[in-house]
Amino acid sequence: MKLLIVEDQAKTGQYLCQGLSEAGFSAELATDGNTGQHLALTGDYALLILDVMLPGRDGWQILQAVRAAGLDTPVLFLTARDAVEDRVHGLELGADDYLVKPFAFSELLARVRTLLRRGGSPTQETLLGVADLSLDLIRRRVERAGQRIDLTAKEFSLLELLLRRQGEVLPKSLIASQVWDMNFESDTNVIEVAIRRLRLKVDDAHDNKLIHTVRGMGYVLEERTA
Amino acid sequence: MRRLSLGNRLALLFAACTAVVSLLAGVLFSRASESHFIELDQQLLSGRLSLMRQLLEGVHDRTSLNTRLPALQAELSHQADLAVRIRGNDGRLWFDSQPGLPDSPMTPGLNTLTSDGADYRSLSEALGGEGTPNLTLFLDITHHQHFLQRMQRLIWLTVGLSALATALLGAWAARSGLRPLRQMGEVAAGVSARSLTTRLPVAQMPVELADLANTVNAMLERLDDAFQRLSAFSSDIAHELRTPLSNLLTHTQVTLTRPRSLEEYREALHGNLEELQWMAQLVNDMLYLAKADNGLLMPSRQPLALEDEVGALLEYYAPLAEDAQVRLSHAGQAQLEGDRHMLRRALSNLLDNALRFTPAGGEIRLKIERQDSGVRLEVANSGEPIDPALIPRLFDRFYRADPARHEGNSEHAGLGLAITQSIIKAHGGTIHGESAQGWTRFVIELPTA
Repeated sequence: MKLLIVEDQAKTGQYLCQGLSEAGFSAELATDGNTGQHLALTGDYALLILDVMLPGRDGWQILQAVRAAGLDTPVLFLTARDAVEDRVHGLELGADDYLVKPFAFSELLARVRTLLRRGGSPTQETLLGVADLSLDLIRRRVERAGQRIDLTAKEFSLLELLLRRQGEVLPKSLIASQVWDMNFESDTNVIEVAIRRLRLKVDDAHDNKLIHTVRGMGYVLEERTA
Repeated sequence: MRRLSLGNRLALLFAACTAVVSLLAGVLFSRASESHFIELDQQLLSGRLSLMRQLLEGVHDRTSLNTRLPALQAELSHQADLAVRIRGNDGRLWFDSQPGLPDSPMTPGLNTLTSDGADYRSLSEALGGEGTPNLTLFLDITHHQHFLQRMQRLIWLTVGLSALATALLGAWAARSGLRPLRQMGEVAAGVSARSLTTRLPVAQMPVELADLANTVNAMLERLDDAFQRLSAFSSDIAHELRTPLSNLLTHTQVTLTRPRSLEEYREALHGNLEELQWMAQLVNDMLYLAKADNGLLMPSRQPLALEDEVGALLEYYAPLAEDAQVRLSHAGQAQLEGDRHMLRRALSNLLDNALRFTPAGGEIRLKIERQDSGVRLEVANSGEPIDPALIPRLFDRFYRADPARHEGNSEHAGLGLAITQSIIKAHGGTIHGESAQGWTRFVIELPTA
């Protein structure tokens, strides 16, 4: 999938480009507003990542031009400014998400994937699974190797999230927001504890571990054959 | 238009008051003297009139008058300011004792007349009964009138001079009376960020200004306090960032001094990542607080069932509390309009804080109470009491009740309660702490209106 990053800070742009490329996207970088707008209008991208403050024309102008051209490419704003009116302004113009610097790359990645998925098939699978783990949303049943696992409601939601986005590293903040509706960066290690408990029920009795900690980034559910 | 100074205003008021008072006094005095003169003239004239009537008794025509004229003139010669006019019953003039007398009315009684620059008081009466010749006496009162005119001039002069004098005196008095105000201005002018410790000398101030001086002093006090906090905050930021920065520098440089295994590099990067995440969280928290300080924290107003919010939070913290062997419970319910995310964040910080300080086997209770004008929310945890003197400081930025956590621990920057306080304030509420009988309580009061 092709993404466009418009970011005038050379290092930031380069790192983002590298990170997104390594995450499996084909990322292109523009370092000024005019090039960025030209590319955005002609390049057929799946997602635009725009800095607000840019030489030439700012991110908002690019967004306006893109929307005026009838493109509904999802747009994610990056900014060092965190004034409420800025945020409102961006969203009013049709931005899809907004990240304030400093942000964690894992957070950006998770949001990029969310935005890209939004356009995709809306059909909700009711049966999720990986390896010998399966989760049935309708019967609210979880089984591992044929054995039923009893989970609390929140543990069930957590496992559902991990399963739906298997292979993706989910940062703690995203987990807190999606499972518990806690939309703020928190100091606590609540998520760590919750994951530990889920692991105890899902993974501990099995050699093939499915829930992995990616140090400093978050958690991922995937089958690792090694 | 430039506004009149207070001193000038007072001086003008003084002058106007004096002018009015002296003018009134002058007018009264001049009226009184005039009526006194009239009374005197009346007495004099009526005395003379009866004398003249005796002299002229029986006169009924010109010839009989002529016989009496010598006696009349002899009588008049005693009094130079007195003149006589006699008119027949038909109104024709029979006799004037001197020329240039003014026309006078035939009606009896006292009149004031003017002729050729001389003033007269006249008194007329018939000599006998009805149809007898009419006798009019004229008294020259020019000197009286001159006196009155002089007095009026004097009054105007007095009015003018006293107004001028009081204006000058008033200006001087106002100037010296307002000296404390000027001192206040000088002190205020001398106040800058460097000298916020200057205070107005309240003891030396007049009573009227003491209140104002106290208010100004209180304002200076608050400014000073806020400024101290601000400078402490900036230096705290620098200090807080210095530790992780120096860790990062040292760690990175040491790692790079010689070739290492892949695993060691990975380890080094992870170490750096932790420091960086901590710094990012710190910066984000501080930006949040800065926004709150600038009044930019604008909570949305959505209807919330507080017990649901509290329930969700307790559910969120339940695993952590179970691990720490702390019991969580909540009671009560209330409706409130507020920002769900902000209030959750505020309560989350309180719960987080409570969990840090509750010993194993302890308890955390959340109590929601409806009150007349709002909602009272209490987060209470069992455990070691906190020194009451320290409680207000808990809301200070970077304040840590537990010094052992001060450095090295990457989780806790000491901004949580400050953020909670900012959020509650943005909702128009208050928060305070108390600690007694083995319980530490944080009490939030939020208005529902």
